[in-house]
Amino acid sequence: MIAAATPDGVALSPLASLFAVFTLPHDGDAVPVGALAEEAIARLVVQARAGDTNARQALYLQHVDRVFRAVRGMLRSDADAEDVTQDAMLTVLSSLHKYRPRPDARFAAWVTTIALNTARRRFRRRRPELTATGELPDMPDAGVDPVEALDRARRRRALLVALAELPEREREIVSLRYGAELNASDIGAALGVEPATIRKMLERARIRLGARLDELLGGEGGTR
Amino acid sequence: MNDPGETWTTLEPTVHQRRRIDAHVAAWLEARDTPLAAEWLGLLRAEPFSAVGLLAASAASLAAATPAIWLARALI
Repeated sequence: MIAAATPDGVALSPLASLFAVFTLPHDGDAVPVGALAEEAIARLVVQARAGDTNARQALYLQHVDRVFRAVRGMLRSDADAEDVTQDAMLTVLSSLHKYRPRPDARFAAWVTTIALNTARRRFRRRRPELTATGELPDMPDAGVDPVEALDRARRRRALLVALAELPEREREIVSLRYGAELNASDIGAALGVEPATIRKMLERARIRLGARLDELLGGEGGTR
Repeated sequence: MNDPGETWTTLEPTVHQRRRIDAHVAAWLEARDTPLAAEWLGLLRAEPFSAVGLLAASAASLAAATPAIWLARALI
């Protein structure tokens, strides 16, 4: 079977090419995939379980960036985040038959719990270095203004420094809140903690993280 | 104060990272969805000599494995 090659040397299978066409237009900017309502997600899960590959792809596209953002906040390198995102998404797509919908937790919470557990396994296997803040992204995306890219890289680095200083539990909570965009109930379900406790911890972590970002970025809140 | 939620958007995967993740996940899913017989058939079409060689080697190793295991058990 002939595989297509990407500019960075990764061979793409026809199915991967389909993903690429779906998500990456020729100008190199990722197309934001609109968030689906929970009912639509539930229908996709049923269809994917029945073997519908389009439904499986749609579920993948709905959650892959969310998973990456969440685990990137927990882990110390982009490479680890890529590996964990792949492993977690594979586990999700091959375990759909195990998913049981719950009224108090969205499908995204189930996906994120799998990602969290995958990240924890990775964390246990490889102790993170204390001062690591994550390497620079491999290549800037095409068509991005260099000044904006530089500012983005600076803010990214500051966030990773601030995250590295948080205790592990707080880092997980803020990653689930801001990366996976889960609410306190979803986070509580994922971590086995009462939502009220999550809210308190989240507020504490948010203030601490914001203050540290101010120090690192010179208190220029809201700059882009 | 800097808003962590807003700054978090900088942790999005780059296009290259997304391509790598997509490629690996798709390759794994494709391998899982493809029956073994279809894999062999595809290999036979693309590389007939290599496929026959691989089949012969597999058969030989299977044939050799049985007495080897029996011998190892007898020695243990």
